[in-house]
Amino acid sequence: MPKLTIDGHEVEVAARTNLIEAARAAGVFIPYFCYHPYLTVVGQCRICMVEIQGQPRLALGCATPATDGLVVKVETSARAKEAREAVMEFLLANHPLDCPVCDQAGECLLQDHSMREQRDTFTTHMAETRRTFPGYERRLLGPHIVQNQNRCIHCSRCIRFTQEISETAALTYKSRGNSEFIDTFDGRAFDDPMSACAADVCPVGALTVREFRFRKRAWKLSSTPSICPGCSIGCNIFIDHHEREVHRFTPRENPAINATWLCDYGRFLADSLNEQTYLYPQRRAAGHMVRAEWGEAIAALALELRAARPLRVVASANLSNEELFLARELFGRHLRGELAVPLAAGEQRRMRNGKGEWLHAADPYPNSLGARRLGLNVVDGEGLSRFLYGGAGLTLILDAEAHPFLAGAEALQLLRVGATAVWMRCEHPLAGVAGWLLPAASLASDEGTFTSSTGVVQRFAAAFSPPGTVHRMPTGAMSPECPTIASPWGPPGEARPLWLVLTALARELGAPNLDLASPAEVFTLMAQTDRAFAGLEWEALGGLKLDESFRERQHVG
Amino acid sequence: MTTRPLVVATQETTSDVKFDKTMEDRIADVLRRYPTTRAALLPVLWLCQERFGWISPGVISAVAERLGESAAFVEGVVSFYTMYYTSPPARYVLQVCTTLSCSVCGGRELVDHLTAKLGIGFGEKTPDGSFQLVGVQCLGACGNAPVIQINDDYYEDLTPKKLDAVLDDLKGRR
Repeated sequence: MPKLTIDGHEVEVAARTNLIEAARAAGVFIPYFCYHPYLTVVGQCRICMVEIQGQPRLALGCATPATDGLVVKVETSARAKEAREAVMEFLLANHPLDCPVCDQAGECLLQDHSMREQRDTFTTHMAETRRTFPGYERRLLGPHIVQNQNRCIHCSRCIRFTQEISETAALTYKSRGNSEFIDTFDGRAFDDPMSACAADVCPVGALTVREFRFRKRAWKLSSTPSICPGCSIGCNIFIDHHEREVHRFTPRENPAINATWLCDYGRFLADSLNEQTYLYPQRRAAGHMVRAEWGEAIAALALELRAARPLRVVASANLSNEELFLARELFGRHLRGELAVPLAAGEQRRMRNGKGEWLHAADPYPNSLGARRLGLNVVDGEGLSRFLYGGAGLTLILDAEAHPFLAGAEALQLLRVGATAVWMRCEHPLAGVAGWLLPAASLASDEGTFTSSTGVVQRFAAAFSPPGTVHRMPTGAMSPECPTIASPWGPPGEARPLWLVLTALARELGAPNLDLASPAEVFTLMAQTDRAFAGLEWEALGGLKLDESFRERQHVG
Repeated sequence: MTTRPLVVATQETTSDVKFDKTMEDRIADVLRRYPTTRAALLPVLWLCQERFGWISPGVISAVAERLGESAAFVEGVVSFYTMYYTSPPARYVLQVCTTLSCSVCGGRELVDHLTAKLGIGFGEKTPDGSFQLVGVQCLGACGNAPVIQINDDYYEDLTPKKLDAVLDDLKGRR
């Protein structure tokens, strides 16, 4: 473990750590553009130059390993500062001054560095005009990536990403010297399955994500740590949102699962979180759907649940561990109903972790392993059809998107026999047979944990409170006496996360041990009763510490 | 001197390239002389330029597949070097030295003469596909300036008159 001094701060780091990471640990920031912790070091941008005491030449922070007794000067070295300034002079000689209209502004490494270290009196001796790439200012490089070659600082991060991480090696430098530019082979579309990561790693606005361009200024966004709902790999993400609208997903660093990457499929699920077709609880009366209050709905549903013979509950691997646990305890144990979690095969997805290993997933649910570990009855489409073939009684469908079978004519036929209550968010054929239709909130306003395919229990936080509320009173919040104040932003309506509805139902059904105030409490109970969660603590889950700022690391990713 | 014209393979051959036995043998021979397949990329591309006349996207794909590199990488390498032709060349590529020694010894006059005679500038081809004018940097034959490299051969100590004779000879040799 080498011990070194950086700008007067002593720090001990693991062997082979480079100076940039050692300085980060010491609380000193060494600027960089081409360095990325999960890509090979090329030492191309030269902005990370630092002075090492006793060495005549300046050293590169990215390519110099920390060794014992090294005395490094970053901010305190006039020589290093001068060298970095010279590098900036060359970079800015050709970089357009279009920050006001550049979508990267606010999360641009070049802009940040310029603001941090550039002198106000910065001048240049260069007399040449700015180099431009006519025709390459607004070019669609692939389905998700827009290229502006004028802004490129030739760091080669995107190229290294396609070579080393996604392994398509689709991007390359073409030409040489001053006219070097980024392109694909023979002008083909850049349709890498992780293509948007190339824009993530781009330190400037040369590559931007088409879907997010000009939707929101980066500094207006709040980032909430969450888990990608796209498949069972469970990539760590930030939900970037503003005024109760989700604008994008960005990868959140987790070396064991997704390093700093995210596949395009998962990333572009972000928009689907804003969909909210069903706004209020509805009840079928004389063939028509009538709006109901939540309190009324829960009281009536509790009565129906008590009387239901038999009671069938279709849960879903899209639900959090807490919600599945509540469903199991409440409907399974307390009411002695039957539970099933349908799983369908989905498209193969894969993700590369920090060690360079590929993780694979074949099912499109974020919590299929969680459902299994909770000991729930996992069924396939055929099993689901048998499960629903019970005739009369009451069927609860906790998630309309649990299985494609539920949207088919056969399922609707089976469900018409008895009574049905369905939780859903988006347009779904089940609305036609539901006796009770309850609006579900999206992942963005839910809170809980998912168990990833590798068995890691990961927590996701609520980005904003459910639509229609500006505050949330945990226990009893669903009762008629609790007023809700409509929010001026975000989707209207009264959709609620399932855990809140289930705890309210528990209260109504006389299961006070399940009338818990938050997913955290549910988790604590679950950790006491279920072996799969034994020893886990909510606060310490999955590297998610809400007090820690991920912004800086997010830049990297 | 018998400068041989460049032969450009047909459109079909350069769009979907399959290496024949001779090419495979030559590539295998090149690969033996280099420590890694990536190191052999330049000579293999050179073989392809000799065989097909220019480096088409089809050739790039075939080379990339043969050497286990990505097509984008190979295209990046091809675009780095000016001596790989990325469009079909004329039969005779006139590479006029534009560096100091040749320039002061009459190279500029040669360029003016060629531009007037053939009606083309640097980087252009005559409409009949006979000649292509390219400005290049020092050819390393300053002692016999001015120099023009035509395809693979050097023509030295040139004057406009000598050059006319060379061009007429080449043109007649169709």
